[in-house]
Amino acid sequence: MLSARHISKFFGASQALRDVSVDFHPGEVVGLVGENGAGKSTLLKVLAAVHPRTGGQATLEGKVYAPQDQRAAERAGVALVFQELNVNRCLSIAENIMLGYLRNYRRLGLIDWQRLQADSQAILDRIGADFRVTDDIDTLDLGRIKTIEVARALATNPHFVFFDESTAFLSQAEAVRLMSVIGELKSQGIGIAFVSHHLHEVFEIADRLIVLKDGAVVGDWATQEMTEESLAEQMVGREMIGGLFPPATGNLGAIRIEMRAAVTAQGIGPVDLAVRAGEVFGIGGLKGSGGEAILAALAGVEPLTKGEMLLNGTPHRPRHPAEAWAAGIAHLPGDRTGEGVITDFSVLENVTLAERPARARVFSDQARMAGIAQAQIAALGIKTDGPGAAVGSLSGGNMQKVLLGKCLAVTPALLLLNNPTRGVDIGAKAEIYRVIRRLAAEGLAVLMVTEDLPELLGLSDRVIVTRNGRVSQAFDRGAELNEQEVVRWMM
Amino acid sequence: MDDVTRNTTPAPGRFAVHQLRQWFPVGLLALLCLGFALTSDRFLTVNNGLIILQQSAVLLVAAVAMTFVIVSGSIDLSVGSIVALSALAAAALSDQLGVWAVLPAIAVGLACGLVNGLLFAYGKIPSFIATLGTMVIFRGLVLLYTKGAPVSISDRGFLVFYTGRTFGMPNAVLIAVLAMIVAAIIFNHTVFGREVRAVGGGERVALLSGIRVNRVKLWVFVVSGGLCGLAGLLQSGRTMAATAQLAQGLELDVIAAVVVGGTPLTGGIGRIRGTVLGVLIIAILSNGMNMTGVDPYLQNIFKGLVLIVAVFLTIDRSKILVIK
Repeated sequence: MLSARHISKFFGASQALRDVSVDFHPGEVVGLVGENGAGKSTLLKVLAAVHPRTGGQATLEGKVYAPQDQRAAERAGVALVFQELNVNRCLSIAENIMLGYLRNYRRLGLIDWQRLQADSQAILDRIGADFRVTDDIDTLDLGRIKTIEVARALATNPHFVFFDESTAFLSQAEAVRLMSVIGELKSQGIGIAFVSHHLHEVFEIADRLIVLKDGAVVGDWATQEMTEESLAEQMVGREMIGGLFPPATGNLGAIRIEMRAAVTAQGIGPVDLAVRAGEVFGIGGLKGSGGEAILAALAGVEPLTKGEMLLNGTPHRPRHPAEAWAAGIAHLPGDRTGEGVITDFSVLENVTLAERPARARVFSDQARMAGIAQAQIAALGIKTDGPGAAVGSLSGGNMQKVLLGKCLAVTPALLLLNNPTRGVDIGAKAEIYRVIRRLAAEGLAVLMVTEDLPELLGLSDRVIVTRNGRVSQAFDRGAELNEQEVVRWMM
Repeated sequence: MDDVTRNTTPAPGRFAVHQLRQWFPVGLLALLCLGFALTSDRFLTVNNGLIILQQSAVLLVAAVAMTFVIVSGSIDLSVGSIVALSALAAAALSDQLGVWAVLPAIAVGLACGLVNGLLFAYGKIPSFIATLGTMVIFRGLVLLYTKGAPVSISDRGFLVFYTGRTFGMPNAVLIAVLAMIVAAIIFNHTVFGREVRAVGGGERVALLSGIRVNRVKLWVFVVSGGLCGLAGLLQSGRTMAATAQLAQGLELDVIAAVVVGGTPLTGGIGRIRGTVLGVLIIAILSNGMNMTGVDPYLQNIFKGLVLIVAVFLTIDRSKILVIK
């Protein structure tokens, strides 16, 4: 039995796990569920010693379990299968399975291919894989690639295997294959913990359910005690923070942007939506379910393959983000430092990065740009040493305000937001919400994609939910928005 | 989770390191001058100063060009070959055009840069590979035309202008400094200059902010090619001929000058001012070693060491996750 007591974990100042106590038994599948940021993945990574724990103890088969690193955890019998695909397609299947243990297959300094392949094949056979180690790795689909990672975890001969959202990138059929592999491991007496956003998977495979919220354990139930509804309720079960979201005040104007039967290059859609001036339109859904693709199409990042978009009633077909910005569409991307701001650049340079007159002339007008930067610093309350300070020196919340400032500096007609407060503290969050609300009241149309449920429900006037690339449900203005209801349309 | 408040003011220790990085090129330059002045009485003379400037004119123009390329996050290995091809264009047409042989030289440079830019920005070939290829091709064109024989320049007008002096200052130096000033204004004060830095600082950010990244990349190479064309003209004037071996290996001195001047190869940051210092360091190092009688067979080793030590001392490792 793997038993963890009072586990806590801090990342810098933010606490990811609070006093978590859980038990895992051999031959049992435990489903870990909770919202984004609830601490599910962190718990598995702490137990597999990918991250060091900040506090708490753990025992494995009655002995103290305190591995220094992931290798030590594997030696003790605890292996983790990561969410991301970690298979190197330049290597053979056998090499990928035994990656990290290739030293054990040396003969005269070279790799003993026969023994390596025989041992790898034995693992694949053990989990009933339908391909052989000698197959070409490029012929495997993602589900089989994931199977290689499971095999890699088994190469360490573990007693416990943790799966961190292993089906996130898999298709239905591929996920089903992985489920059967997990069932096979369970029958061999291996203890399993499984994180998934897909509740039906959890119900199908788990013997026991543990719900996490805000880094703490909410409860621990046998699967048959729960229904999808009661589970969603436990996952969400928080009270709304009053005052975080200012009330909607403005009147609705004309339709700003419209998508008609739009299908994106990644095959998301068909999507129909219309956002009016003065409203915040929210798109909810799991990561990759379609919201980001809708923003990418409107922002000129990805073209549509079918359907059309109308901006103020005229066709909108941006072939480059420059055309979208020029048409008055500001885009706040989801990856702050990778897509939003240049951390080496000053606040001034970042805020004016997308501003048109700052770009359309030959010589840059420093005085004008400084004025714009000062205005945004004041309007958004950006805490900085001055417009010349490097954005990399700011806190996440202030960096996010710089990014928002970059969007607002163009005085847009439509604001596209992708997780506008991801990784931002509560104070900055409230300020950002106030600004968005105020601008909407002044006639801005806002289209927001977010994985943050309270934000989706608290800030949006209208909500649509996407699932597997389709709009699964639309909630109209004034509809009683209920978290459990929204969550159910996501899964 | 990434919302950890970072220091907005650098700690005293970090500040000192930052200062060191800023002033290192100046310090190195001063140290070199001092060292050579103490060991050779011919080093610190007006005449030698002019010689150093004359020797660095070509390097300066090409290094300013390279600064644009490196700050945009790319590299151009073909500068030496562009210089050679433009020098050939100037030499071959100097009899007909005289002073105006500058036009074909710059036109050839622009054309070469256009080819590089198209291959890189629109052909999506990494700039290192694309310009490695064109480096060989452009040099091959010079060989094909000259068949290995030098093309000498005899036009009096051309030679008087490009090897002459104005107010005691070599015209080549004046032209190079003028080009540098224009380039510095473009780099520091135009929207294009800002977009070049944005593309190098974060290409994805620049793209999503509506900067036409491919167009910027193309223009960077065109500008770089044009400046190298001018450098080729100056080179042909200095040698009074174009040869197949002209400016061979120049790209290495150019990259060294830019990097010693404090511009990291990672892109986004850099200064023309730093490049000027880097050029002077490289030029004074060569000149000083000759003056003080350092064994010519040892000189390359010293130049390499200066480059490595300069980067070792000035690079900001905290920002680089993977060194490759």
